Amino acid sequence: MLKTIIKKEIQNNIFSFRFLTSLVMLLVIVTVTVFILTSDYLNKIDEYSQRQTEIGNYMKSYAHFNRIGAILEPSQPPIPFYSLIRGLSSDVNIGEFDDDPLPVMFPLIDLVFIVTILMSLIALIFSYDSVSGEKEDGTLKLMLSNDFSRSKVILGKIAGGVLTLFIPFVVSLIVGVLLITLEPRVAWSGADWGALGLVVIGAVLYFGFFYGLGMFISSRHQASSSSIMTSLFVWVLLILVIPNLSPYVASFISPTPSRIKIDRETSRITDTERDDLARKLRSERLRELVKKYPVLVQAEGLSEAKIKERVAKDPAFREAYQARTREVQAAIDEVNRIQGEKADKIWREFGRKEAAQTELSRYLSMVSPLSDFTFLATDLSSTGTRNQVHFGQVSSLFWQAFRDYMQQRVAALQKKDPSTDWYNTPVDMSDMPRFQYKEEALSGRVKSTMPAFALLIIYSVILFLAAYFSFIRYDVR
Amino acid sequence: MTWTIARKEIVSNLLSYKFFIVLLLTVVLIFTSFFIMHRDFKNRLADYQITRPKPGDPIALVPPNPLSIFAKGLDEALTRSFEISVIGITVRAGQKSGNVIFSFFPTPDFLYVVRVVLSLVALLFGFDQVSQEKERGTLRLMLANTVSRAKILSGKWLGNFLSLAVPFMLVTLLGIVFLSLDPDIHFSSGHILKLLLIFVMTLVYIAFFLSLGILISTVTKRAASSIVILLFIWALLVFIIPNLGTLLARQVVNVPSVRALSEKRQQVWTREVLLSIGEGGTRERSIWAEHVRAISEENDRLEENYRAKFVRLVNLSKNINRLSPAASFVYAVTDIAGTGIEEESHLKREVVRYKDSIIQDIISSIISDSRTKEYPAFQYNYRTLSDIFAQGALFDTAWLAFFNILFFALSYYAFVKYDVR
Repeated sequence: MLKTIIKKEIQNNIFSFRFLTSLVMLLVIVTVTVFILTSDYLNKIDEYSQRQTEIGNYMKSYAHFNRIGAILEPSQPPIPFYSLIRGLSSDVNIGEFDDDPLPVMFPLIDLVFIVTILMSLIALIFSYDSVSGEKEDGTLKLMLSNDFSRSKVILGKIAGGVLTLFIPFVVSLIVGVLLITLEPRVAWSGADWGALGLVVIGAVLYFGFFYGLGMFISSRHQASSSSIMTSLFVWVLLILVIPNLSPYVASFISPTPSRIKIDRETSRITDTERDDLARKLRSERLRELVKKYPVLVQAEGLSEAKIKERVAKDPAFREAYQARTREVQAAIDEVNRIQGEKADKIWREFGRKEAAQTELSRYLSMVSPLSDFTFLATDLSSTGTRNQVHFGQVSSLFWQAFRDYMQQRVAALQKKDPSTDWYNTPVDMSDMPRFQYKEEALSGRVKSTMPAFALLIIYSVILFLAAYFSFIRYDVR
Repeated sequence: MTWTIARKEIVSNLLSYKFFIVLLLTVVLIFTSFFIMHRDFKNRLADYQITRPKPGDPIALVPPNPLSIFAKGLDEALTRSFEISVIGITVRAGQKSGNVIFSFFPTPDFLYVVRVVLSLVALLFGFDQVSQEKERGTLRLMLANTVSRAKILSGKWLGNFLSLAVPFMLVTLLGIVFLSLDPDIHFSSGHILKLLLIFVMTLVYIAFFLSLGILISTVTKRAASSIVILLFIWALLVFIIPNLGTLLARQVVNVPSVRALSEKRQQVWTREVLLSIGEGGTRERSIWAEHVRAISEENDRLEENYRAKFVRLVNLSKNINRLSPAASFVYAVTDIAGTGIEEESHLKREVVRYKDSIIQDIISSIISDSRTKEYPAFQYNYRTLSDIFAQGALFDTAWLAFFNILFFALSYYAFVKYDVR
């Protein structure tokens, strides 16, 4: 019996005007979006490798250990999922002078947008009159005058409706994915396909929620013209209002101190304040050292060439001068450590506050299924907040490896020629460790999206129950 | 006669469920938006008070713009702190850069409420104007009188426009009155003039969607199919065209990524420092001064190159996006409010000019080995209204007006030909 109702519901929908329009619309939009996003992704790959080559060339002539920190700063390489989901990857870079304001005005469109905005709208268009419309047509009375139970009717309606929504979505997605696989330079791995599968499951839950919402509202109204109004009202609140308000509300509840101020303060600590302190400490230590090696008094005011000459000729001077170099380096290291810790402490405290605010915004926005799906899809595809953290970890591993390399290299070079300051001299670094980005393992990503999945399931179940009970009591006259 | 019909429309609207929902939505959204954006503005103003440069600091910092409460646009980028030193321009961004959740969802300002929600509401007012009256049979009755079809259509349009615009304007005005009670927010007469212009644009924008709704209602036979079509057109105009257009323009105009540019700047700086060390160290003043000049000049060249491409990208994406009146509306309103793309470019040009003059001072103080501590302050004047209109807003206004006239004419034409049976 249930099967008959599901079949009727699907057939009814498939031959309807709205089904056809949705299918055509989704096909066109998904295809165009995937096409443009893929071509953009290919451009991004080219640009990335070009930038890496440029850095490589630069390193050939100007690789000084002391000066290349900023040059080697790793950047996120484009990942194959960019041809479907963009997440946080858009290049606004508000921290740079040449920021890109265009995405601020109009954020770009990807699969997440298509699901969150279009599919939810389509789900409501399909369901707003599923009860009130049948009542107006009189078919509901006829159906219920048979010996169908109401619960079977509503279950059949929900199942049939979600299945019909699934058709245009999956068909258009398949066309989009085909486009991607036809492009030989976009290589999707097994993990990517797995992630896509989970995103599709999330999407089904998401539009299932909206279908349930539409049915619920429809069975609370007698006329379909008012149920569309209420549906759109709730839709606007859930989709266009709650997510946008949440970070603002969080920033009022859990404020952070001015970022510009903290930024200025810490850069002063590690710059001018450090230099002043270093100068002081250096002269103090050297004064002590001169007592031990009086010969060093002669070194003051000599040019580098002269010092080299003396170091080569005079062993006593060489020893003294080496001690001096060690002492200066130790003083600088000491000051760097003190000031670094000072700045780190400020940043840690500030970072804690910012993280608290971000967490709060995230939780507040998860009231809306839109945010649940957005977080789920971007985290699964490595384009969300989780990937930012992961990227930070990968880069810090790189820096660690690089620091180890630097120490070994400098130690080896100093053995050969102790009088040169190897931190400030060009060094051949062609054997240095390279930054390699690897996406987080799929299992970790899946685990992190469990709360979002759970919330989507809970919301859908609640709405189905609400729709069920409202329909049981619906007055069909 | 037109007025009688308009009055009938208003009365029947006032009593409808639709009107109740729409009113509720407008009141809730406008007040929440004003409340949130007002607090956000106050927070940013407080931050500005803390971070504003002391006299003599070579820092360019613009206070937040009170009109950003209505149209935030790029105000976050405009109010960053640009600090000048030998390195060039160090940029420090404000609060929003620390919380990534902000970048997932658009800002809920007045502009957003109008662009997205009010346009939807206007469509809801228009979608059943003709098809429903036909379904009910009242259209036939009306036409059986001696009223001309033109009068019926203009009466309907006027009645619905008024029942949409009047409550909306009242709510907005009330919100603005509340805002102006706050002594921290100072609206100058220039701001009020700009607000008025933004209001006019808003009305024109809503009028377009109302005409569109009536047009689709006239060409479809049933109200149920007219709503389906309208919702799709709405999604296309408000979201899809503007969002895809920018991406499409990027495929045509190849602009280097922001990251590439900052890497280049870093490379220039390190290279020049190393070269100067090789030539005698930063102790040799005249050599160092030469390198500082070289850094500044090369950075300016990079900037100029990037700007030229970026302007091409902006123009192309604007022209593609203008297929949708929603994009024209956003461009016009943000330009008028002083938070648009053009304003940001203007500010950047001014900052570069300021940097060049500061670098001159720095170079001469390096050469004379005197430590200048006092630099001239940065002065920024927002573009004047005539500049704003000349540089794009006039076109967008005209373009919106054209859309309006076109769609009203189309719905008139369709209605005259309409088969009322």
